Amino acid sequence: MIGNDIVDIAEARQKSDWQRPRFLEKLFTTKEQQIINKSDNPFLMVWRLWSMKESAYKLYTQLHPSRFYNPKQFACEIDDSQGKVRYKDFVCYVKTNTTSQYIISEACLVKANMVSECIEIESRLSKNQSDTIKAKLLLTIAQQFNILKEDLTILKSDFGIPSVYHNSKKLNIGISISHHGNFGAYAIV
Amino acid sequence: MTNDELITKLKAIVAPYVQNEDAFKNLSKNTDFVNDLKINSANLVDIILDIEDEFDIRLENEDMEKMLDVKATIEIINTKLANK
Repeated sequence: MIGNDIVDIAEARQKSDWQRPRFLEKLFTTKEQQIINKSDNPFLMVWRLWSMKESAYKLYTQLHPSRFYNPKQFACEIDDSQGKVRYKDFVCYVKTNTTSQYIISEACLVKANMVSECIEIESRLSKNQSDTIKAKLLLTIAQQFNILKEDLTILKSDFGIPSVYHNSKKLNIGISISHHGNFGAYAIV
Repeated sequence: MTNDELITKLKAIVAPYVQNEDAFKNLSKNTDFVNDLKINSANLVDIILDIEDEFDIRLENEDMEKMLDVKATIEIINTKLANK
């Protein structure tokens, strides 16, 4: 099981204003707000923590099928490159990579290496973006398991959690998909 | 405020974040911000802050938790307005 989240840095700069009143207190714990304020680059820290929370939420909802919006309760800790996120009695490990263009986080129940593949997407349409990533993900699975890509589909549960199906049989593969701005990411475990 | 007036105000608030214009044109009580309007989850907080400003209310974490669709959002705004 895996959860990932990508943030397009240019998109975050353009479409969100982390400095607007009450933005930080709505999304981040007091401790996280301190981390942000002390950071050399508060903007990047905001989006790093955000992607950690989102990836942890995506993992949590696979274990506990549900849908809600409560990022603040997904409390982040960071030491070096390895982070931890807690929500109630749920704990997961989150790795983050930051490039000049995007921030990618990946949540797992155990400490593991990053497996997410990031791709740049040309289309600005949300639907096309998600189709591009899904096609790439299915192609990778088809090659890995030596099966026909045409027999694979991705279906989402009522809670929006995606799974891979071979013909109509659900495969025991953990996946996660994310897109934001010009970037997409997919993870397979 | 009637629900129709509320929906009109809400429509104006969500408009800048919408990524599916067809779903936006047909916005109803059953419209989901993420699944239907394809609003990025990073922008949900902006909608919440815009609602606070527009209606002069404050939304708590418990309120935000449910604010994923028009129906739940209208219910929460109505409750907050009634308690003002």
